Amino acid sequence: MSLAWLGVMPFLLFALLFLVLPTMQIIVGSFRNAAGEFTLDNIVNLFQPSIMAAYWISIRISVASALLGCLVGFLMAWAMVLGGLPGWLRSPLLTFSGVASNFAGIPLAFAFLATFGRLGLVTLILRDWFGINIYAMGFNILSFGGLTLTYLFFQIPLTILIMTPALDGMRREWREAASILGASPFQYWRMVALPILWPSLLGTFALLFANAFGAVATAYALTGSSLSIVPILLFAQIRGDVLQDPHLGYALAFGMIVITGIANFIYIWLRARSERWVK
Amino acid sequence: MKINRFWSWLFFGVGALYFVLPLISTAEFSLKMRRGAYTPDAYWTVLADPRFQQTFTYSVLMALATIAFGVLLVVPTAYWVRLKLPRWRPVLEFITLLPLIIPPIVIVFGYIRLYNTSSWLPLTGSAMGTNLLLMFGYVILSLPYMYRAVDTGLRAIDVATLTEAAQSLGAGWVTILTRVILPNVAVAVLSGAFITFAIVIGEFVMAALLNRPSFGPYMQLLGANRAYEPAALAVIAFAITWGCMALIQFVSKFAPRAPGAQH
Amino acid sequence: MPEPFLSIQHVRKSFGATTVVQDFNLDVEAGEFISFLGPSGCGKTTVLRMVAGFEEPSGGRIVIGGKDVTGLKPNQRNIGMVFQAYALFPNLTVAQNIGFGLKVAGVARAEIDSRVAEMLDIIKLPASEFGARYPYQLSGGQQQRIALARALAPRPKVLLLDEPLSALDAKVRVSLREEIRSIQKKLGITTIFVTHDQEEALSISDRIVVMYGGKAEQVGTAFEIYNRPATRFVAGFVGTLNVLEGRLGNAGKVQVGSGEIVLREEPADVRSGDIVSLALRPEAIALGRRAGDDAVLAGEIADVHFLGSVIRVRVRAGDSIVSLDTFNNPATPPPRIGDKVEISFSSGDVMLLN
Ligand SMILES: Nc1ncnc2c1ncn2[C@@H]1O[C@H](COP(=O)(O)OP(=O)(O)OP(=O)(O)O)[C@@H](O)[C@H]1O
Ligand SMILES: [Mg+2]
Repeated sequence: MSLAWLGVMPFLLFALLFLVLPTMQIIVGSFRNAAGEFTLDNIVNLFQPSIMAAYWISIRISVASALLGCLVGFLMAWAMVLGGLPGWLRSPLLTFSGVASNFAGIPLAFAFLATFGRLGLVTLILRDWFGINIYAMGFNILSFGGLTLTYLFFQIPLTILIMTPALDGMRREWREAASILGASPFQYWRMVALPILWPSLLGTFALLFANAFGAVATAYALTGSSLSIVPILLFAQIRGDVLQDPHLGYALAFGMIVITGIANFIYIWLRARSERWVK
Repeated sequence: MKINRFWSWLFFGVGALYFVLPLISTAEFSLKMRRGAYTPDAYWTVLADPRFQQTFTYSVLMALATIAFGVLLVVPTAYWVRLKLPRWRPVLEFITLLPLIIPPIVIVFGYIRLYNTSSWLPLTGSAMGTNLLLMFGYVILSLPYMYRAVDTGLRAIDVATLTEAAQSLGAGWVTILTRVILPNVAVAVLSGAFITFAIVIGEFVMAALLNRPSFGPYMQLLGANRAYEPAALAVIAFAITWGCMALIQFVSKFAPRAPGAQH
Repeated sequence: MPEPFLSIQHVRKSFGATTVVQDFNLDVEAGEFISFLGPSGCGKTTVLRMVAGFEEPSGGRIVIGGKDVTGLKPNQRNIGMVFQAYALFPNLTVAQNIGFGLKVAGVARAEIDSRVAEMLDIIKLPASEFGARYPYQLSGGQQQRIALARALAPRPKVLLLDEPLSALDAKVRVSLREEIRSIQKKLGITTIFVTHDQEEALSISDRIVVMYGGKAEQVGTAFEIYNRPATRFVAGFVGTLNVLEGRLGNAGKVQVGSGEIVLREEPADVRSGDIVSLALRPEAIALGRRAGDDAVLAGEIADVHFLGSVIRVRVRAGDSIVSLDTFNNPATPPPRIGDKVEISFSSGDVMLLN
C-alpha cells in the first residue's frame, strides 16, 4: 500500500477546515432549531414575501447580468478573434479584460456612481448636452437596472477571457468546409459553430451567474441596504441579526448555495448532453 | 467581408465605450473636489488620512501572508498530484473550483459559526486568531486562481524527469521543491500571486464580517460619508489592479513553454 | 482537345504587394484527375482556394461547366473539397457529417439517409459500425475517408483535395491515394489534387501541373513530365537527376571528364567552347557497357546504397557524381567503394539543361 496519498493530506485538511466544514455548518444549521433538533421550519420560513422578493430580485439581476455579459462579451471576443479586427487590438483588450474582471467590489461601485449616479458624468452630459434626463425617465443606479449595468463591468471581460481561447479553437476549415458544402453563414453558425461553442458559453453563464449572485461589496457600496438582494440581506443578518432568528440566516445562506448549486448542476448536465462528441 | 468588419467594429466600439466611460467619469469626478477647478485634492486627502495608511498597510500585509501561505500549500500539493497521484487531479480541480460557486459570504458565515469563542477552535476569540482566519479565507478565495496557475505551470515542465534527475543527484524532497520545481514554476506562482494580491487588497465581505481593519471596509466607510474621495480611491484601486495584471503579463514573458502548447 | 470542363484563365493573386500566383492557365477536361505538384509556398493552395471561392482572384476568370464562377461564393459553386486534416465537424456524427451538404440543401431525410449509406459503402466503411461515431473516435485515415465521402455526397461537379494525405502515415497514404483514384474513376468526377509528394502525383494523375513561384512550369502526363521536363526546375524537382558538366565541342560533341558524349541534336543557343549541363535519370545509366549504349564514361564507385530490390550506386566520373540504379541480383555481390568501373547510357536519353 503506497503512502503517496499522505502528500495531499495537508491540502485536503485545509480545504476541509476552511471550505467544506464551514459550508456544511451552514447547511446543517439550516435544518436545526435553537435547541439543535432537526426541523424544516427555517426552510419554510424562507417562503415569506420579503425574503422571496429578495431571492427573486437577486436571481433576476444575476440572470440579466450573466446573459448580457455572455452576449456582449461573446460578441466582443468574436469581433476580436474572428471578426477581422486588426491583430494589435488583441493584446490590449485581453489585458484590459484581466484588469476589469478583477476590478469589482467597492471601487467599482464608486466608479459607477461617478458615471451614472445623479451627479455622474454621463448623467450630466446626457442631461446638459442631449436633454435626456435618465433619472426623470426612471433610471436609478440603485436599482435592478443600475446594478445589472454595473455588474456588466466585470461580467463582460470575464466572458471575453473565457471565450477567447474557445474562439481561437474554431478551425478555419470548419467554416470553409461548411461553406463549400453549400451552407450559408447562418447555417454554419447554427449547425456547427454554436454547438461547438455551446459548452463554453454555458460554463461562462454558470460562472457569471454565481459571480453576480454572491457579490456583496459592489451592491452594498452602491445601494447601502436600500436594495434588498439576498447577499445584502444575509450581510445585514450576520452583522445584526435583522431577521431576529439566527437559524433563518443559515437557511438564507443555504438557499444561496442551493441556487448557485442548481445553476452549476444545470450547467454540468447540459454540458454532458451537448458534449457527447468530446473525448 | 466588409459587412463583417462593420459589425466587428460596432461591437467593439460599443463595448469599448461602456468600459472607457466609467474610467473617464471616475477620473474626472475625483479631480473636482475644489469647486470650479480640477485639482488632485481628493487624492491628497485620501493619502494623508491615517486610516487609509493603516488599513492599506494591513491589507498589503494580509495579501503577502495569503500569498506566502497559498504558495506553501498549493505548490507542493499540485506538484505531488502531478507526480504521484494523477488520478486525484479531478478531485483537486473540483475542490479548487468550489470557491467560485459557494459565495464568500456563505463561507465567512460558516467561519463565524464554526470558529467562534465557544467552539473547539476559538479563532475569532483573539485579534491574531481572527487575522489568521481571515488569511485562511483569502487563501480559499484565491485557490481557483493560484491552483490553476501553478498547475498550468507544472504542465509546461516535465515534472517526473526533473524529479528523477534531482533524485539521482541525491537531492531530498525539500531541495527538489525549493531548488528545482519552484524556480521552474516561478512565473506561474507569480501570476497567481498578483491575482491574489488584486483580490485581497480590496476584499470587503470577509474583512467586514470578521471585523478586521482592512482596506475594503475602509473604502466602504469613506464611500458612505464622502463625495469625491471615493472616486479617487476607485482610481487608485484601478491602478493597483492594472499594475497587478501588467506584472502578470510582464512575468509570463519569462515562462518556460510546454512543447507544442499555445500559451 | 474537347471543350474543357474547368478552365482557369490568366488567374492572378496578390496579397498586398506580394504576388503569389501569376498568369495561371489550366484547362481540365470533364472527369480528368489533375495534380498540382510543387514545393512549399509555390501557390498550389492559393490556386485551389480560388477555384473553391475562398480567395478572390486579383485578375482572370474561372469557368466551370461553361459558367463563369469567378464572382460566386463558395456555397454557390457546387464544388466538393477535402482539406488537409481535421476538417470534419467535431460535433456531428459520421453520418451527420456526410449528410451535412444535403441537409443544408434541404434534401429529404430519407434521401439523405440512403445517400449517406451509399457514400459509406463507396469508402468501404460499414454504416452500422461507423455511422454513429464522432470524429474523435476515428483514425486519421478514416477521418479523411469520411471527409471524402462528405465532399462527394452532394454530387459536386468538381472535387478539390488539398494535400489530403499529408497528415497520414506512409502505408495509409499509399492505400488511400489509390482508393481516392479508383473512387474518382468510378464517379467520373473532375478532380484537382494538391500535393508536394511527387510519387503521389506521378502515380495517380492523368496530368500533372508542376508549379513554381506562383506559375505553372509545365502541364503534362507523368510520362511527359518525367521524361521530357520543359524547364530546368521541373527536371530537378521531379525525380532524381544526374547533372554532368561538360564543354561543348564541334558537331554536338561534349567533353565530360575523360569521356565524350555526342548529342543527338546540336543545341541551338550555345556555342562551342561553352560549358553545358547535361541531365540524366539514374535508370537511364547502366553499370558497365550495356549493349546499344553509345556513350561510355570511366569512373570510380563513390557510394553504394542497398535499397532492397534496387541498389543505388554513386559513381564519380570526372568532376561529377552520377547516381544510377541496378537491380539486386542474389548471385552477384554489389560493387564496392573504390572499384574502377565504366558507366554507359544512350545519348538519346541525355537532356540538355539551359
Ligand atoms: N492570406 C495570405 N496572406 C499573405 N500571403 C499569403 C496568404 N496565403 C498565402 N500566402 C503566401 O502565398 C504563397 C503561396 O502559398 P500557398 O499556401 O498557396 O502555398 P502552397 O503551394 O500551398 O504551399 P504548401 O505546400 O506549403 O501548402 C506563400 O508564400 C504564402 O506565404
Ligand atoms: Mg498548401
